[in-house]
Amino acid sequence: MTTDNYILFTVAGTSYALPSQDVAHVEMVDQVTRVPNAPAFVDGVVFSRGQVVPAINMRARFGFERAALDVSSRLLVVQSKGRSVGLLVDSCREFMNVPQSSIHPPGEALSGLSAQYVDGMASVGNRLIVVLSLERLLGSTEHAVATRPREQASGEGHGYTETRN
Amino acid sequence: MLARRFMSHILIVDDSQTIRRMVKASLAPLGVEFIEASSGLEAIERLAVGSIQLMVLDLNMPDMHGLEVLGFVRANQKFQQLPILVLTTRDDAASRTAAMQAGATAYLTKPFTPQTLLGEARGLLERTVEGTR
Amino acid sequence: MTDFLDNFLDDYFAEAEEHLAVIRRALLTLEHSVGQRRIDGGVLEELFRSFHSLKGIAGMVDHRETEALAHELESYLRALREGDVILTTGGMDLLIKGAGALEASIAARRAKGPARDTGVVVEEIQSLITRDGTSQPAAKPESRGRGNWLCTFTPSPALIARGVNVDVVRSRLREIGEIITAAPMVNAQGSVAFQFEVSAAVSDELIERWQPDGLHFTPIAPGGAPGARAGADDRSGSILSSGHYVRVDLARLDELMRMIGNLVILRSRLTDTLARSERHMPPGQYREVQDDAEAIERELRELREGVMRIRLVPVGEIFRRMPFVVRDLARDSGRSVNVVLSGQDTKIDKFLVERMMDPVLHLVRNAVSHGIETPVERGAAGKPPAATIRLSASASGETVVIEIADDGRGIDVDKVTARAKQAGLPVPSGTIDAVALLELISAPGFSTRDASDRVSGRGFGMNVVRETLQELGGTMQVETHPGEGTRFIIELPLTLAIAAAMLARVGDQIFAVPQAAVREVAEFEAASIRAMQGAEVVEFRGAPLPVVRLSTALNVAPSDATRFHAFIIGSGAAAVGLLVDRIVGHREIVVRTTADPLIRVEGVSGATDLGDGRAVLILDAGAIARQARDRHGRRGLTVVRGIA
Repeated sequence: MTTDNYILFTVAGTSYALPSQDVAHVEMVDQVTRVPNAPAFVDGVVFSRGQVVPAINMRARFGFERAALDVSSRLLVVQSKGRSVGLLVDSCREFMNVPQSSIHPPGEALSGLSAQYVDGMASVGNRLIVVLSLERLLGSTEHAVATRPREQASGEGHGYTETRN
Repeated sequence: MLARRFMSHILIVDDSQTIRRMVKASLAPLGVEFIEASSGLEAIERLAVGSIQLMVLDLNMPDMHGLEVLGFVRANQKFQQLPILVLTTRDDAASRTAAMQAGATAYLTKPFTPQTLLGEARGLLERTVEGTR
Repeated sequence: MTDFLDNFLDDYFAEAEEHLAVIRRALLTLEHSVGQRRIDGGVLEELFRSFHSLKGIAGMVDHRETEALAHELESYLRALREGDVILTTGGMDLLIKGAGALEASIAARRAKGPARDTGVVVEEIQSLITRDGTSQPAAKPESRGRGNWLCTFTPSPALIARGVNVDVVRSRLREIGEIITAAPMVNAQGSVAFQFEVSAAVSDELIERWQPDGLHFTPIAPGGAPGARAGADDRSGSILSSGHYVRVDLARLDELMRMIGNLVILRSRLTDTLARSERHMPPGQYREVQDDAEAIERELRELREGVMRIRLVPVGEIFRRMPFVVRDLARDSGRSVNVVLSGQDTKIDKFLVERMMDPVLHLVRNAVSHGIETPVERGAAGKPPAATIRLSASASGETVVIEIADDGRGIDVDKVTARAKQAGLPVPSGTIDAVALLELISAPGFSTRDASDRVSGRGFGMNVVRETLQELGGTMQVETHPGEGTRFIIELPLTLAIAAAMLARVGDQIFAVPQAAVREVAEFEAASIRAMQGAEVVEFRGAPLPVVRLSTALNVAPSDATRFHAFIIGSGAAAVGLLVDRIVGHREIVVRTTADPLIRVEGVSGATDLGDGRAVLILDAGAIARQARDRHGRRGLTVVRGIA
């Protein structure tokens, strides 16, 4: 039986998992520098170990209301195809070994914006965990940048003007 | 028309990190930005590349003596008007005269109180602002 | 005042500890000079300065006993330095006793114990100065310590017959110090000679002894490390000629870089003008001018690189302190360590040398504190009792590799994993390879302040080492073998992208604007901004100047400022003013590019860290101004560079 190691995190009350080999590191985050005219789901940039990485707000990415950063907020710095991207999540505390056999296809039950990035669902004990595909998650962001509608770019897309200092 | 009221920069030159931190803490109420140098050469480099409104200078440093720094700085046309506050360990009886002759604008001895240093620095900065109006 | 002082006690103890370490080391050296007329001036100077600095900071934190004692020791050192007293065995003993009393006094204060009475030692020193004082100092102590010397060697057939050739001279010089430069020359008589610039302890006796061998010494800079006194020695130009080499102040190079920056701007303006005049020029002539403009650009690029190369200094500047650090640490921890340096001449950017000092120091300290076994343990493992730490540097293409290797016990992976788990750090399952190991030991929170950090008083852990490296665009690897040792391999770029930038506040955000793009800075009343043909303009130097509010261009909530600062970009008809709320300062910044497509937006060229770990965006002022000119009247910057 093959098992893989996953990092678990929560966004708006749901538990998600990413393969731990895709996650370079997890860090606390207290401030994101806003980048003007970046896609709406990008909060801005942060310095992570000397590197400038974009911070994707996973709540916004999945179509939820943004929440203020707090002590449990974490930045997952993920690496894919030479890119380093930060994912802002509500909390991230656990590692978990998940047997391949307990991951099932998402099925019809899953809806909403996050559905398109899902690799499968895992039930571990009595918990239901959504296993994400990093490739699709980041791939779709490239797509979003390239085809972003103009009205979103000119400001309305930024439903928020406060900086997250 | 040209902007004159940029944030002031104070250059703190002392080889002791403790003293530099104390000077910064004492001058914090001025709301200025601090640039630090731990040696004479570094001080001259910082002066040359930045715009400094006040220099707080120690005399006894490893690479260049403060008096040498003063001499170098005052020999340069560009820094004739720069207020320089010499801050040095007490009981160098002759050094006050030497420092003033070499071009120091003011002279304070360590140990200093934060209030004295703040008052002195504020006076020097205000004088400069008036002088350029 | 007391509350004020309390904030600095930790700094005081940490810095005092550093001075005490210097004092202990200097006293060891000085012991060999007892009774001698000539004492190494460098050691005396170092001791004097340490006592002086200690006196200064002790006074600041109101630590009177220490201040008084340091003052007395300083006076004795001054007398020694001036040649007023001769260093006797009694004097040496008293110095050691005084240093011990200083240490005890500071330790007592640190432990919040009762103050140590230093009065007795103070009196002893006072009477010593009187007793050992010479009414007629026969000779001043040797002040020529390790200094910079220009050594000229003129070979002759007779000398070569006696076995004295340039190779022999070179190894002799290496034995007494460090050779900084070596070059052949033709002297006034038209014969060939060799010129060495050395940093060495050259005694009068040595000068006499080597004179018949065709060696002549001229002091260049008395005392100090090589290069350290360039500014002091030549006030007018700071350029010191020695043979075929010149020494240049960094400030002068920065000035040169600034001038090159101006040239680059001028050249790009030339291209603009040229593009506009194309239709007025015969095609052949246009192409010729264009070729010339491109040639100028190529030359400028090379000029810039050339100047960047002048900033390179020997990596040895990082290594130089390490043998002393190791000696102190080894002695304190009962270890025996040899330090072997190689490749010190490898060149690297001056800025990198400064930034790498602490990380290398940390790795070396770690090697001594954690890597190297006690002589007994080493004996039991069949190793020589004295350990070896190798520091080496080498250049490969555009990078410099620095290695810090020890032959100690190696990193215990199990211990590291256990400690990481204890610290609540995520530990990957399966075997821990070198990459994962480095990840663990560099994790923030892994190394709490250990003993070696406490010595310096700074919490400089492996995570800071790695962060510094990443900030400098470098990388680090580790190789470790149980029982055989550990090697850290650091790779650094030869140079860095550093720019002078102005910092401006727009709304509640700070942005950096490279100075090279800014022609001028001005200030305007908000009331003086007028609408004109769909754009906003102000009156500037008697002509209307189009202005762009950066708050609009950058979608930042505008402030209700009544005055604006403005960056004037471009000149003549192409001039545009970029309005910011306030210019708050200027600074040298390390430019980091924002490469990811998500954050590659028009008008932002990168980000920098002003020292607090927060990202500050670097604006592409030229692009913003260009957009403003192009999209007359349209608000905002709406184009995002596509992803190819």
